[in-house]
Amino acid sequence: MAKKKIGIIGGGISGAALAYHLSLYDGEAEVIVFEKDTIGGASTAKSAGTVCLFDDSLKNRYWDVRLYGFESYLKMEAEEKGSAGFDKTGTLVVATNEEVEKVIKTGIALAKAAGYTGEYITDKDRIKEILPDISTDNILGAGYTADDGYFDGTMISNTYAKKAQKNGVVVKTGVKVTEVVVEDKKVKGLKTDDGADYEFDVVVDCTGPWSKFTGEMVGLDVPIWHTKAEAFFLCPPGKKLDYTFPVLKYPEFYGLRAGDNIFICKSHLSMDLSNPMHAGQWDPDKLPATGGTDDYFIDFLLDQLEAKVPGIVDSGLVSSWLSYRAEPKDFWPILGETPVEGYMLSTGYGGNGVIEAPAATRDLAKLIMRGESTPLLENWAFKRLL
Amino acid sequence: MNIAVLIKQVPVSNDVSVDPETHALVRASSEGMVNPADLNAIEEAMLLKEQTGGKVVVFTMGPPDAEKSLRDAMALGCDEACLVTDRVLAGGDTVATAKPLAAAIRKYGEFDLILGGALSADGATGQVGAMVAECLDIPHVVEAQGIRYDEAEADKIVAVKKFHDKKLSIRCTLPAMVSFNFGCNEPRLATLRTKRAAKSKPLVTYTNADLGLNLDEVGIAGSPTAVVDSFSPKAGRKAVMLEGTAAELAKKLRDLIEEEKGK
Repeated sequence: MAKKKIGIIGGGISGAALAYHLSLYDGEAEVIVFEKDTIGGASTAKSAGTVCLFDDSLKNRYWDVRLYGFESYLKMEAEEKGSAGFDKTGTLVVATNEEVEKVIKTGIALAKAAGYTGEYITDKDRIKEILPDISTDNILGAGYTADDGYFDGTMISNTYAKKAQKNGVVVKTGVKVTEVVVEDKKVKGLKTDDGADYEFDVVVDCTGPWSKFTGEMVGLDVPIWHTKAEAFFLCPPGKKLDYTFPVLKYPEFYGLRAGDNIFICKSHLSMDLSNPMHAGQWDPDKLPATGGTDDYFIDFLLDQLEAKVPGIVDSGLVSSWLSYRAEPKDFWPILGETPVEGYMLSTGYGGNGVIEAPAATRDLAKLIMRGESTPLLENWAFKRLL
Repeated sequence: MNIAVLIKQVPVSNDVSVDPETHALVRASSEGMVNPADLNAIEEAMLLKEQTGGKVVVFTMGPPDAEKSLRDAMALGCDEACLVTDRVLAGGDTVATAKPLAAAIRKYGEFDLILGGALSADGATGQVGAMVAECLDIPHVVEAQGIRYDEAEADKIVAVKKFHDKKLSIRCTLPAMVSFNFGCNEPRLATLRTKRAAKSKPLVTYTNADLGLNLDEVGIAGSPTAVVDSFSPKAGRKAVMLEGTAAELAKKLRDLIEEEKGK
């Protein structure tokens, strides 16, 4: 049987995870990944990597997606320590109203069903024991688990790429795709900036914030917007925290420890696509490596910290960076087939690429190799946006 | 004590090349930041302000977007800022940079002390601070490691320099100019709160017309420096791996040193 030839554009977490899942179809797929820079660089490297058992980043409706991602990374860590960059800090998800409280309690029940710990705490002294710098005014309670934390998207991408290569996948870094060859609305292959031509049965766009430009190569308008992920690294007063700062989730923002510093960022689900300060369509190639942040987000986060985590509000600002998330208008990814036969998408993960990529690419690999769809692919299909 | 601090906005990226035609530096990144050694000067200014009171005014000459660095300096505690910006000032060498800065300081008000970083991260001439002092006809100490002020001698400061493994203390009558080495102290960090406060701190802009300098004193016309050539160093030096026992390696190294000495 002839092998299915698949070209993957983009070596972020989505492209690397897809390459790995395709490589599991033993000897049936011939896969090449094209990454113009480095594996797990760009927006994957700027991901916070919070894959928490219960928080508001992914609705409980997609609990299985969250669990598959979380457990995939735990297994990676078990195989080789550090390969997923797991920092087991635990997570504190704060309930500021009854609706959020209900979501947290559901998440805790689901986590417990999978054998993890979780508790909903209303004793404010106990919440302050977990996070001494928090203000417990105006909160109803908080969900807490010690079992999760955050991962490193770059490490995960490289681990997936390494595993895929072991199974025969070719990974080309420093190579940019310059043309996707389409004949009669069907993908035939692609060309790269080193002058090479490739024939493929399927080409998958895993370029995230670049998808708008990648899609143009096949005449496809990929309906994504960019939302700004503006992250600030704070050095707490007194220089070193004397407790483990957990992943901290509020509906409006989140925080986590980064070495001796604290990373804070406005949450992606609180972004408004109609607000030009939050969202637009920009060129990710023009993003600076550091800096580039807007005063708007400084003001926003200052107000949030003053009200909610006053103990760290006067931390020193060590550094900051700006990244673009790729968001479709409904904030769900775009997976699978497009009107161009053989051109598929695995993009639009927004702020959830690290959480969603394992399950999404597992299912996409099945679609590519067997033509079988899944409920997840149907929910996140491109056609919903047409 | 009123202190002026001179800063320079330098590119964030180290990716600087030389234009083969003009010999000017070509910066790959437009993103700017405060020159690192200037952060050390700001820190010294803040420590002195905490000791003596008064105000700290930060000055820079550059394009309009150099306001970003002035705001960053005010987020570190500087009280006011002055941006010297005018197209006629562009392309000036160190002399044609020092003159407008000195004129701006004179116009702005009276200062007891002028501080700055010893070297910029891009040009690295180390000349502007001393030239400003010459323009203002005040004493200067360059490449200091620290500064001491004693109210018993209110008209003087003591600048401390490194001299091999010794310290050299230089007593200097005020007003004076002192430039600081990169890394001589640990600069404080801005906070979200001070970043916000910096946005509303006073910032004045001077053009060359405000400073009243003749056009032949500023910009390219006012620059006595003629850059004959500048170029990136040629790569191509060869490395040789030496192998052998410790004694053999020591002998080979000694022979190589003797060989180089003989050249």
